Amino acid sequence: MAHILRINTKEKRYSFEEPSPAFAALGGRALTSKMILNEVPATCHPLSSFNKLIFAPGLLSGSPAANSGRLSVGAKSPLTGGIKESNTGGLVSQKLARLGIKALVLEDKPEDDAYSIIVIKKDSVEILPADEYRGVCNGEMIEKLWERFGKRVGVASIGPAGEQRLTAASIQFADPKGHPGRAAGRGGLGAVMGSKKIKAIVVDDAGADKFTLHDPEAFKTANKKWAELLMNHPVSGQGLPAFGTAILVNLINEAGALPTKNFRSGRFEFAQDISGETMSANIEKRGGIVSEGCHPGCVIRCSQVYNDKDNNYLTSGFEYETIWAFGAHCLIKDLDDIARMDRLCDEFGIDTIETGVTIGIAMEGGLIPWGDGKAAIELLKKVGTGDPLGKIIGNGAAFTGQALGVDRVPVVKKQALPAYDPRAVKAVGVTYATTPMGADHTAGYGVCQNVLSVGGTIDPLKKENNVEISKDLQIATAAIDAAGLCLFVAFPVLDHAEGLQLIVDMLNAQYGLTLTTNDVVQLGISILKDEHEFNRQAGFTKKDDRLPDMFKEVFPPHNTTWDFTDDELAKARTF
Amino acid sequence: MTNWRKPERFNGMGKLIFNAFSFLQKKLKERNIPCVDAPFVFSEGQTVRDVLTAMTICDEDIEGVFVNGKIAPADTVLRDGDRMAAFPPGTPGPYRLLLGIVKRGKDSQ
Repeated sequence: MAHILRINTKEKRYSFEEPSPAFAALGGRALTSKMILNEVPATCHPLSSFNKLIFAPGLLSGSPAANSGRLSVGAKSPLTGGIKESNTGGLVSQKLARLGIKALVLEDKPEDDAYSIIVIKKDSVEILPADEYRGVCNGEMIEKLWERFGKRVGVASIGPAGEQRLTAASIQFADPKGHPGRAAGRGGLGAVMGSKKIKAIVVDDAGADKFTLHDPEAFKTANKKWAELLMNHPVSGQGLPAFGTAILVNLINEAGALPTKNFRSGRFEFAQDISGETMSANIEKRGGIVSEGCHPGCVIRCSQVYNDKDNNYLTSGFEYETIWAFGAHCLIKDLDDIARMDRLCDEFGIDTIETGVTIGIAMEGGLIPWGDGKAAIELLKKVGTGDPLGKIIGNGAAFTGQALGVDRVPVVKKQALPAYDPRAVKAVGVTYATTPMGADHTAGYGVCQNVLSVGGTIDPLKKENNVEISKDLQIATAAIDAAGLCLFVAFPVLDHAEGLQLIVDMLNAQYGLTLTTNDVVQLGISILKDEHEFNRQAGFTKKDDRLPDMFKEVFPPHNTTWDFTDDELAKARTF
Repeated sequence: MTNWRKPERFNGMGKLIFNAFSFLQKKLKERNIPCVDAPFVFSEGQTVRDVLTAMTICDEDIEGVFVNGKIAPADTVLRDGDRMAAFPPGTPGPYRLLLGIVKRGKDSQ
């Protein structure tokens, strides 16, 4: 049986324990959220010793299942004050699972200012002094740790933003090439890691026992079909590998839903300049890598390496939402400037969505001119230096808006809205408002049976059906996060009814269970119930499930407004 | 519903702005067919399908078409000043669903 590894960061001691019955059948987000609800006082300060930082591989992680290498990282969020699950690729999830670790829980916090790193191997757990790494950025941190502990060990680290405990701080993860391009980005979990004075976690699964499957043959059969399903689908098999998620720039712009100049309109006149098509052409021209996976066993391979004009590495994992945040939102049209800011975020360990939106708020507040990429880069660099202005920016959009006296601050539960305007894609707006995570597009991904049956009837500009579909997507997403699957598996699952069954077949074959697809849906519901309950205990009410007033403004080109009432939105939370 | 398009009837020729995305953009560029904010002249009464045919774009290269930012079926009659964009299969995210592409996109083929 897999164990829970608890590390007391104050006492520098660790223990392995068998999971209690409440945790035994859970993994990924299901486990992080259940543990936080059960073990973290909802009213505690997120940076206090009472908070816990939990790393949990998904249920299928470590197995040969395609695209199952995702990790859930959970805690009480310093940004939102509510529960947080942030999901990432990288190498840590599969290695923890292969070492038989169901969850790694960081508890308490040191009273002194000394940093540590945690090194987890097959037969040992070490908590080592790490003051030599203070102030080191994530790229260099991974280099040093790979040099010290061997190439391709899993690394999770914080940069200067996490050390400063800024509420937009991320935890960065080494990708298979050793770039810090994968992130548990949202919600300030890097600040929680910084509060516990853990600079990095190294996971080495060398010598791990063979991964056990209850029914290897049944697993192999299901996984073969599963991988074929992913590879044969035009989205996961062609679109994403060729253009990454940035393929969405032109499409969302065309739909009139690309928030431009701090959500004033849905079209950016320079969308083509920052599009996936342009990104892909630059990568090919400059000798980058068009398509690579964020973890071993990924068959979608939507990540990439983006080089500068001199063909030198600039950034990796260059996502649509990042390009939007630093691009259309800030009126910046130079894709290389945007890539530089993506890289700075990875190095400093700070969420790209939150930070991009914040730079726009800085423009709104007159700190730097709209569209000035070079000024934006200089402003962002201050986050890495400990400059007071950098601390304002690094605490996110709501904080910066307040500091600068700005009244157009696009946040829900103090977390910045991502790259889809809620007035032009209303179901996403319902998700922003009602997910326990704060504004988060990934909380309403996925697909489930109900979605399949209502698929063609959605009008993104009207209210009808959009609450129901957001609810269904939130349930399905929670279940996918628990399984440790990449959210992008949702596309083939949407189009092929057997997709969901194959996920269930793999879970059953791995654990010797008799789950049905309905059980998976129920799992998703139970996760959301746990998360909403934590937030309720933390003091959240339905007034926290609103979009800011700025979304009552008419939004061109479709001239729609945000028009849901509190009671209508509350239906997305009735299970 | 707001009146978001000009009248259907106009005299003779109309002009629209055409875009293609993803693999389709790449393909059309290789064939020297303008497809980024490109003006396209058409005759009164012509539809989305007529424009795609004129550009020799085949059905399997299309998952959906936007007309003025909304997913539109292939028999949509075009109007002077319209903005049209075509895209192939491969749109990630639930947005194929949330933008109404999935069903209507297939209708348009």
